[in-house]
Amino acid sequence: MSNVRERNESAWLLPPDGKRVNHQLRQDMRRFEDNDEVDLLVVGCGAGGSTMLQRLARAGWKVLALDAGPFWDPDTDWVSDEAGSHHLYWTEPRVISGSDPVPLGSNNSGRGVGGSMVHYAGYTPRFHPSDFRTRTTDGVGADWPIDYSDVQPYYEAIEEELPVAGEKWPWGDPHSYPYRPHPVSGNGDIFLRGAERLGLVAKVGPVAIVNGRFGNRAHCIYRGFCLQGCKVNAKASPLITHIPDALAHGAEVRSNCMVTRIEVDERTGRATGVHYVHEGVSRFQRANVVVVAGYSIETPRLLLNSADARFPEGLCNDFDQVGRYLMVQGAPQTAGRFDEEVRMYKAPPPEVSTEAFYETDPTKPYKRGFSIQTVSPLPITWAEHVTAQGYWGADLRAYMSDYVHWSCLGALCEFLPQPDNRVTLADEKDRHGLPVAHFSYSQCDNDGALMRAAQEVMEDILRAAGADEVITIDRFAHLVGGARMAVDEQHGVVDSNCRTFAVPNLYITDGSVLPTQGSANPALTIMAVAARAADRLVAASRRGKEQP
Amino acid sequence: MRLPRRGAEPGAPPAGQPWSGRFPGFDVLDQSSHWDPATTGVVLARVGMAPDIRFFTPDEEAVATALCDQLLAQDDATEPQARVAVVNMIDARLAERQTDGWRYDDMPDDGQAWRESLAWLDADANEQFGCDFAACSRAQQGSLIHSVQNRGSDTWHGLCAERVWSLWTRYACTAFYSHPFAWNEMGFSGPAYPRGYKNAGIDRLEPFEVRDARPGDDPLRRRA
Ligand SMILES: Cc1cc2nc3c(=O)[nH]c(=O)nc-3n(C[C@H](O)[C@H](O)[C@H](O)COP(=O)(O)OP(=O)(O)OC[C@H]3O[C@@H](n4cnc5c(N)ncnc54)[C@H](O)[C@@H]3O)c2cc1C
Ligand code: SF4
Repeated sequence: MSNVRERNESAWLLPPDGKRVNHQLRQDMRRFEDNDEVDLLVVGCGAGGSTMLQRLARAGWKVLALDAGPFWDPDTDWVSDEAGSHHLYWTEPRVISGSDPVPLGSNNSGRGVGGSMVHYAGYTPRFHPSDFRTRTTDGVGADWPIDYSDVQPYYEAIEEELPVAGEKWPWGDPHSYPYRPHPVSGNGDIFLRGAERLGLVAKVGPVAIVNGRFGNRAHCIYRGFCLQGCKVNAKASPLITHIPDALAHGAEVRSNCMVTRIEVDERTGRATGVHYVHEGVSRFQRANVVVVAGYSIETPRLLLNSADARFPEGLCNDFDQVGRYLMVQGAPQTAGRFDEEVRMYKAPPPEVSTEAFYETDPTKPYKRGFSIQTVSPLPITWAEHVTAQGYWGADLRAYMSDYVHWSCLGALCEFLPQPDNRVTLADEKDRHGLPVAHFSYSQCDNDGALMRAAQEVMEDILRAAGADEVITIDRFAHLVGGARMAVDEQHGVVDSNCRTFAVPNLYITDGSVLPTQGSANPALTIMAVAARAADRLVAASRRGKEQP
Repeated sequence: MRLPRRGAEPGAPPAGQPWSGRFPGFDVLDQSSHWDPATTGVVLARVGMAPDIRFFTPDEEAVATALCDQLLAQDDATEPQARVAVVNMIDARLAERQTDGWRYDDMPDDGQAWRESLAWLDADANEQFGCDFAACSRAQQGSLIHSVQNRGSDTWHGLCAERVWSLWTRYACTAFYSHPFAWNEMGFSGPAYPRGYKNAGIDRLEPFEVRDARPGDDPLRRRA
């Protein structure tokens, strides 16, 4: 396991000369014709899709990925600037509703090769073993059809590939990380100081940010713009952790290709390929196996938009499961004010976390829990914190001028999966004429109780560290679910191997398949589950069940 | 390039401008030669000429200007060359349909929501004060804005007031706090590639950063 380069050479395929893209590798990329039947086609080159692509390319399959967004060049396409990074987000129209509607776009989803991990913060904690059976142990949520032990080896593999830096981890299934923890900045110091005074355990990490050198990837320069895309190649995203290796093993990545519909042969019941639009031209790509990995909003939307005579309510939707049980984590952020200068922008936002409140506490009136992590909003995001307190005009300017004195923590609360939190199709159409996603969200009582409990703990930590004022903003993060994994087709869309119940050669390998979310950031788990699905698919094809 | 420094004068802030002068001599643009070219292009474009108005009608532009001046306390005292052209920046986003990627199901799309809400502000001004919003006194404008904010989740002319409020403040703050002048008054060092930071930690500064001259001047104590 330890010689990661033998499994995934991505970091060594990046240029050693300070440039961030291996242009030769992209230029020499294999190119398929629309008429070639590729062994496997992936829709969406994000966390789950890219992992799948790289694994199957390594297994010798003819693989192709289509992504709606660009094939990023960090040198020219990304900037060290908040407002200038708007193009990293999926900003096609979407409609939100419910009693607690969840803003999307810049808050929640990305586009282009690398997916949302291009602008994710970089926290990569594992789920706890309990996350896989919350229905049995806590009477809430759902049980997965697989167990922690099924995913554990894939966690280890992906942690080496990203690679992850952090202290020895005491929570969940205790484990250590391949790289030592990063030094902490003012914001991390405040968290550690407050936690220590409360007798609370907090640890540095786990972050998928290079500490030292990894292949030709550079060490983090602590510039704080992780959410704007890492121009340094220090923070992991599939663009640099899985795509280079996939290309070197014969995969094609076709960018700026919006997939509009999955085609299923009525006679055989098998997927035959996908319709997509590239530069205004509608095309059809043939494939033997189709994998959808477009994120928890676009994946259900694509299935619903692929309705046909056999599946009038949407592909794989015979039991009205598509789009349901979508989850966000409640992510309140609490900031504290210090006379000292914290200057929280001078570090990657992900630094320190605690999972001490992750599990159900029988003394509390709510089930499941939350984690707490450093977050370090830059000025525009910080203005949201200040306006959320009702300030504007002179008060707003005064609060904003106080920025260097503030430290900020964020919680991730495990909201429970509910059938009515779902994606459906809106009447509104996008520029391709396709109905856009309508996403409805309402919290249950347990969700609200967790938000309040997490806020209290964050206030305690900041006050223990010496803050004289604390302010909180309610936010939501990390959509998962919407095409969940289950034991049968009446309870979910895919089986334990991420294969759809309804179409034997159609797979889903992104965050949509998660039945619960814990209070861990999801990207590592999404990649691990995808890597497992890839292994199972390769094994099944060796047994002759699925033809490469 | 010499540009006006926001709040660069040491000592007490001008009356009514507690945000001014906290970081004496700090000008983030002094560091621009250390930025990468892609970022430099994006940031310096903001201190250059503002894009012409394309989306708002002249009537809408007038209301939007008065509204944003209020929201961001850019009043007559703001030197013209130090003023952030917030309305032009918002207008550019709306003209290019650069939205945040979602809308509430009970709200029109962002552009239409701006048009409608500006028209209703003008209507409220005419009804209450007998003149257009832009012609009202600052106190009158302030009270009209306050009354929208105070409605919370109630409706205001058929729109959910807090969603209108969020639309205004989101667009206005995104424009204003993307500007180097705004960074100067908050001591923020701006773009940091390829150089990065070497002195992270409590009370630790880079050689080019300037310490807050009034560290005890926090909003809470000022209120007390
Ligand atoms: C601000 C922010 C911070 C975050 N921080 C963290 C963090 O610290 N840790 C963590 O674990 N997670 C974090 N996340 C969440 C994490 O990034 C996502 O959960 C994860 O990337 C989702 O993976 P995915 O495979 O489901 O989808 P994505 O990675 O979003 O990939 C989906 C891809 O599919 C493409 N696509 C969609 N529809 C189509 C179509 N029809 N045709 C072609 N292509 C299509 C998109 O362009 C995109 O590239 C953060 C997210 C945000 C927004
Ligand atoms: S702080 Fe480090 S990981 Fe984050 S963007 Fe900067 S260099 Fe990359």
